[in-house]
Amino acid sequence: MIKHPIEPDAEPAVRLADIRLTYETKQGALLEAVHPTSLTIRAGEFTALVGPSGCGKTSLLRMIAGLTPPSGGAVSIFGQTPKEAQRHKRLGLVFQEPALLAWRSVEDNVRLGLQLNPRETHSSTNVGELIEIVGLSGFERYRPAELSGGMQQRAALARALAIDPPLLLLDEPFAALDEITREQMRYELQRLWSVSHDPRDPPRSAVFVTHSVAEAVAIADRVLVMSPRPGRIIADIPIVTPRPRRPEHEHSDRFINDTAIVRAALRSPTTPAVPLDAA
Amino acid sequence: MISEPIHDLEHLEPTAGRIPLTAPDVRPLLGWIVPPLIALLIAAVAIEVWVRLADVSVWVMPRPTGVIENFFTDFGRYFHEGLKTLGVSLGGLAIGTAAATLLAAGVAHSQVLERAVLPIAIMVKVTPVVALIPLFIIWMGHGWNPKIAIAALITYFPVLINAIAGFRDVDPRMHDYFRSVDASTWEIFRHLRLPAAVPYLFASLKISVTLSLIGAVVAEFFLSGQGGLGAVIWIEQNNLRLEQVFAAVLMLTLIGVTLSTAVVVAERLFSWRLDQPVTAS
Repeated sequence: MIKHPIEPDAEPAVRLADIRLTYETKQGALLEAVHPTSLTIRAGEFTALVGPSGCGKTSLLRMIAGLTPPSGGAVSIFGQTPKEAQRHKRLGLVFQEPALLAWRSVEDNVRLGLQLNPRETHSSTNVGELIEIVGLSGFERYRPAELSGGMQQRAALARALAIDPPLLLLDEPFAALDEITREQMRYELQRLWSVSHDPRDPPRSAVFVTHSVAEAVAIADRVLVMSPRPGRIIADIPIVTPRPRRPEHEHSDRFINDTAIVRAALRSPTTPAVPLDAA
Repeated sequence: MISEPIHDLEHLEPTAGRIPLTAPDVRPLLGWIVPPLIALLIAAVAIEVWVRLADVSVWVMPRPTGVIENFFTDFGRYFHEGLKTLGVSLGGLAIGTAAATLLAAGVAHSQVLERAVLPIAIMVKVTPVVALIPLFIIWMGHGWNPKIAIAALITYFPVLINAIAGFRDVDPRMHDYFRSVDASTWEIFRHLRLPAAVPYLFASLKISVTLSLIGAVVAEFFLSGQGGLGAVIWIEQNNLRLEQVFAAVLMLTLIGVTLSTAVVVAERLFSWRLDQPVTAS
């Protein structure tokens, strides 16, 4: 079917213009969840968003995904509104919980994004190959309940990649996994990020929400640090380590130095003096 | 591989809501069927001994052997009348379940509809609907219709309440995922809400299948002219023929067991088939 090609250099992956989010509490008070934020994420950029719990990271991601309407400002995904980006299946969502359909096999879960909104189906996607790439070969007919948490999250990643989205939106995808699996999954994600890609699209971008500094520094090109509520971006730290990155890199001076910079930003005066969970 | 695959599926603990893909082994079932049958047999023997020793009048308590004998000698009658009761019960169940599921689908999507419908639903739920039988006879005459209407009405509300809960019991993350690929309301219903509601629908069906039988029998008490096991019980108790009353009740028990078993079997067969992919590619 019709794929809508994107001009490679014409538009950034994400452009946020003064978006903000305010809630009305039950008592009628206005609560500012996300302070007006402007941000540009280039095509091909892997951006991590770190910050303390409740700082509005997830809210920011949901506004980019078009799942929460901002109280003000504008969101643009490759020059389109989030709603248009949804319609053209430009967004690959992965949540903290795998959120798979319990009554479907792994294979049918991965296929789900292709099946829905069929006007935009990417016929080129080979589901079997994708399942192999995420390392679930032989488990095609298994139900989610029969898989470990890490394998479920691999299935959720495969489902997100099946529609070949130019933008991956990941909301703490490994937070619910055990530490060993979590540390390995970040390198899996680095590998999967670029697979099954339509050459007509710009290089794939990602926005990766995490509360783990090590995770952010290990996989991102750029770490954005958010302040506690009302959340706003207080630091924008480039991570220039070349790819592909390997687990051993986490012992290097450069890695330790980068994490120290991010931790310092998290501890900056605007944040309260509480120990941050830096995993 | 990072996460070790689970090779030994045989020894996995069954997870809540998981339906086996293969036919279940029937041998363990015998362990559930044989003990109650033995208990039932002991109770029947005890009643038999009591009735014989105390010389209880046949107008108070018939001998179990007499009931069984009558049941088999007059089997054609009980079977025939049982089919009528079964027809009323199934007709009511089909109409009640279909109407309730449709309304629930609407309520699950509309808060206005929910606010309009739910208070009435609860009001009718706490009302014993069999009290409406005389009215239904006035409106629908003495045929099958008032009986089916009562059976439908009595099954309607458990299905409605459960189906609404089922259509709403969707993982909010999953709902977000559907929205993120611009799935239509119909697609969300077909691939998310409906399969999520299947366990709820079967749970309510287990309740309503016996309720529909109650509705059918009570309606037949009032409309004994058209037969059915309710009519048999009504007529025979007027004649003080308690063996026939018990034999009719025995047939009702068999129908109830058959219907309930059918729901359980249907649940196993149907629930995993519902959401097969629409296209193969």
